[in-house]
Amino acid sequence: MGNEREGLSTAESLRKTRTYGQFRCHNPSCMGRLQPKPGVDHVKCPTCGLEFRVAWVKSGFPRIRGPVWDVNKRIAEEAFERKMKEEKKDGPK
Amino acid sequence: MALNRKIAYIDLTTGKIDIKPIPLDVRRKFLGGRGLDAYLLYNYAPKGCDPLGPENPLIVSGGILTATLASATARTHVMAKSPLGGMLGSANMGGFFAPELAWAGFHHLVIKGKAEKPVYLWIKNGKIEIRDAKHLWGKTTTEAQWAIREELGDDDIKSLVIGPAGENLVRFANVMTGIKNSGGRTGMGAVMGSKNLKAIAARGTMDIKIAYPKEALEFNKRFIEQITSAKVNQTQGTLGTPFIWGATNSWGGVRCRNFQYNQELYCDEIEPEAIDDACAETMGPYHMAGCFGCQVHCRAQYKIPTGPYAGVYDEGPEYTSQGAFCGEPDCRSLETLLVGNHLVDQFGMDNLETGSIISWAMELYELGILTNKETDGLDLRFGNDEALLEMVKRICFREGWLGNTLAEGGIIASEKIGKNSFDYLIQVKGVSNLHSDERATPALALNIATASRGSDHLRSRPAIDLYHLPVDVMRKIYSSPVPYDGPLSSEHTEYIGKPWQVFWHENCYMAVDCLGICKYHTTFLGATLPNFEDWPKVIHYNTGLELTPREIWDVAERCNMMERLFNLREGLQREDLKKGDMLNHRYFDEPTRRGAPDVVGRVIDREKFKKMVDELYEYKGLDKNGVPKPETLKRLGLEKEPSHLL
Repeated sequence: MGNEREGLSTAESLRKTRTYGQFRCHNPSCMGRLQPKPGVDHVKCPTCGLEFRVAWVKSGFPRIRGPVWDVNKRIAEEAFERKMKEEKKDGPK
Repeated sequence: MALNRKIAYIDLTTGKIDIKPIPLDVRRKFLGGRGLDAYLLYNYAPKGCDPLGPENPLIVSGGILTATLASATARTHVMAKSPLGGMLGSANMGGFFAPELAWAGFHHLVIKGKAEKPVYLWIKNGKIEIRDAKHLWGKTTTEAQWAIREELGDDDIKSLVIGPAGENLVRFANVMTGIKNSGGRTGMGAVMGSKNLKAIAARGTMDIKIAYPKEALEFNKRFIEQITSAKVNQTQGTLGTPFIWGATNSWGGVRCRNFQYNQELYCDEIEPEAIDDACAETMGPYHMAGCFGCQVHCRAQYKIPTGPYAGVYDEGPEYTSQGAFCGEPDCRSLETLLVGNHLVDQFGMDNLETGSIISWAMELYELGILTNKETDGLDLRFGNDEALLEMVKRICFREGWLGNTLAEGGIIASEKIGKNSFDYLIQVKGVSNLHSDERATPALALNIATASRGSDHLRSRPAIDLYHLPVDVMRKIYSSPVPYDGPLSSEHTEYIGKPWQVFWHENCYMAVDCLGICKYHTTFLGATLPNFEDWPKVIHYNTGLELTPREIWDVAERCNMMERLFNLREGLQREDLKKGDMLNHRYFDEPTRRGAPDVVGRVIDREKFKKMVDELYEYKGLDKNGVPKPETLKRLGLEKEPSHLL
């Protein structure tokens, strides 16, 4: 499976798929790429509405430090309530 | 050459020591490290032996690449029958011990019997001496290491030691080296303690001849570039492993309050950046250290900034300590995290098991299954930092009824506590689960259910499954070195394709453990890190041994099957909750309540889980009961085990 022409292994060849300056939303069905502006400490996912605190490993290398607790906790509670109601109505999934 | 490192058989009962070479055909079959240890254990441990009895062999090793010119060959492996679950015991640690052992002439030690009084082994340049350790007994892990150096007059000695927990036969006591490098999870420290063996000290100056030194150095540059360019390793080198817990907690993948919740809310004080700040304040801006030959440097150094332990130095804390002293017991104090981490390091006790078992006891206490009578008045509620740290001490020194009971590990403790306490014990094969919650991640649930040393993330966890990699990228990774054209899914909440991923990672991690390198240098947390295709040249240039990627895979599969054979001989049955490939009922019955919207409300689907296990068994060549088919054993060359080749 290695890239014979460049003499690269599969793992090495995958380096070209890396993205920089971005991370993925932490919601599994969303997983949208979020690109925070340099130096910001907060980002909101435009797709699912989750909000995250941002930390910078180094310049140009952001990571999710953690959720904005009040926002994401509320979204989670609403989702849980909705799913439990659906389960009662339709049976376990 | 690197392959001329020897194996020593040490009988502590008789004092007899035999030193033998390791034949090349055995190397080709098992390589070294954990794989060869599995072979030795299956051959030397009598069926059904008492894990804390003299007949249980304690096996210590480095990998086949240890102390060569390859990167990060720091890992020391320890294996025996586990006193925690009565199944496979296995521990793997970083630091500097295994390279020193190799320079002293040895790759494997098989320690049998029991010394009449406390002893330690002194290994130097091909010679092994059994020495009196009366003066070391009772010392903490770091005190013991420094005392050995002082006694022998050499500050470069590296030692494996046990602390008070190992001496007291706490069934999840660690073997330790350095400040915090821990051979943990399955009570190898208790096995060492049961033999009255306080330490193994090594010092070596014997050359290791590299087969092709110029090529080995040149190829290692490429390896280093591959390892250091990975974003995950750059993050590790900045924040250490706490970033893993932080990221997992963010979406709701950690255990909180034993297993009641899957996220620790409002825990800003113990997030990786907060830990990093504390390290920087007490140790300066450059506070990251590394193991032998490693460029990642994931080990933070800190002094406890506040409280009664202020100014005390330690290393870490690892993500497992965040889970143990924060998430699971629902404590959110940085000081508690750092002190808890320090105590288990000094005592030589598994952080993960300690935090898990105390959190289990906290849930039992809140349910009324445990009362003030059993806790001797300790208010063992969740979130009680003082009670948490007090229980750590009580377990180590077996103080009080509950301390003594929990020191026996979850399964024995649940039998002593009675009622329905076992229902709340989150374990597989007697080993507590990692601080992670796998209800939303079927691949990870399958991993912990079927891992050979009990619930464990370092045996077969497809951690990159969480990265939402495109299927074509996954296809490239998972179709080599063995073709795979079955289904794969980028969704980590899915069940499709996960058994193959678990099988692939199981073999990948076994190969890494045979080589003696760190899992942060392979496809564990990063998709671009080295694996089967990258290893043949490293092995060849350093040892002269020629192996294809497929042959390395075959070795790994064979070694995993050796571990399976051991577990089957010790009573593994597929759905046995104490000894099988099965999860606690809460995985199937109690939905997650926190985290990302797609994570809440999740349980593992019991039928789909069974199908995943079936599929994994098929890949492994097992029948429906999890027993290897005769043709599988023949294919792997294991049909005559135990074969006593060594």
